Amino acid sequence: MAAAALRPAILRRIRLSPSPAAAAGAAAASQPHALARWLARPMSSHDAHLTRDEVVDRLLDVLKCHPKVDPSKVSPEAHFEKDLGLDSLDTVEVVMAIEEEFKLEIPDQEADKIDSLPLAIEYVANHPMAA
Amino acid sequence: MATSAGFLARRAAQKERVRLLYRRALKDTLNWAVHRHLFYQDASDLREKFEANRDVDNPDVIDRLIDDAEAQYRNFQHPDPYIVPWAPGGSKFTRNPPPPKGIEIIYNYGKED
Repeated sequence: MAAAALRPAILRRIRLSPSPAAAAGAAAASQPHALARWLARPMSSHDAHLTRDEVVDRLLDVLKCHPKVDPSKVSPEAHFEKDLGLDSLDTVEVVMAIEEEFKLEIPDQEADKIDSLPLAIEYVANHPMAA
Repeated sequence: MATSAGFLARRAAQKERVRLLYRRALKDTLNWAVHRHLFYQDASDLREKFEANRDVDNPDVIDRLIDDAEAQYRNFQHPDPYIVPWAPGGSKFTRNPPPPKGIEIIYNYGKED
């Protein structure tokens, strides 16, 4: 389903609701600061700028969750159309999912030029308002 | 239309128009739907409208289809779209702007000599 491209943004927030205590414990056990980072994001006032590694991880996650993308082919150097087999309309959907993930508003002309993951990483990492 | 270079340029311009149209229509679909479960269905319907004309290859027909779709989109535009808070028109735009150059802010209020 084409519209499911936006599912990761929802799942990321729903994931903690089934059993908060157990989920919190699991998150704290695996990564000590993961939960703090999760809770801090909704209250972010854009003071903490994203690191490039964080941008890459989240972008890869967005792409892997897209229904038309083969997760095994996703890599930081992937081209949307040549490597992942998406067409131009799918690329538009992916760029929109990226905007939703990082709370950005990318101008139409610039969004049209983002056709590979390195360009997306460059744009988001250099954007001062990415959250 | 006499040369293939002109034909290719025209096709490239048409593809760009379709991508921009799809992008704007998708954004307005989300503005109208608001809720995700409604948006997914509406976005699927929108995609099907575009897919229905995927195999059209006559440039004149494509131009007419794009013009017609753009006219439909103009009727479909949302009067109060969602704007990211920090963008122009958003709720945080120009909140706490830095003072203009040449203006000096003195922070020792009450302690002037």
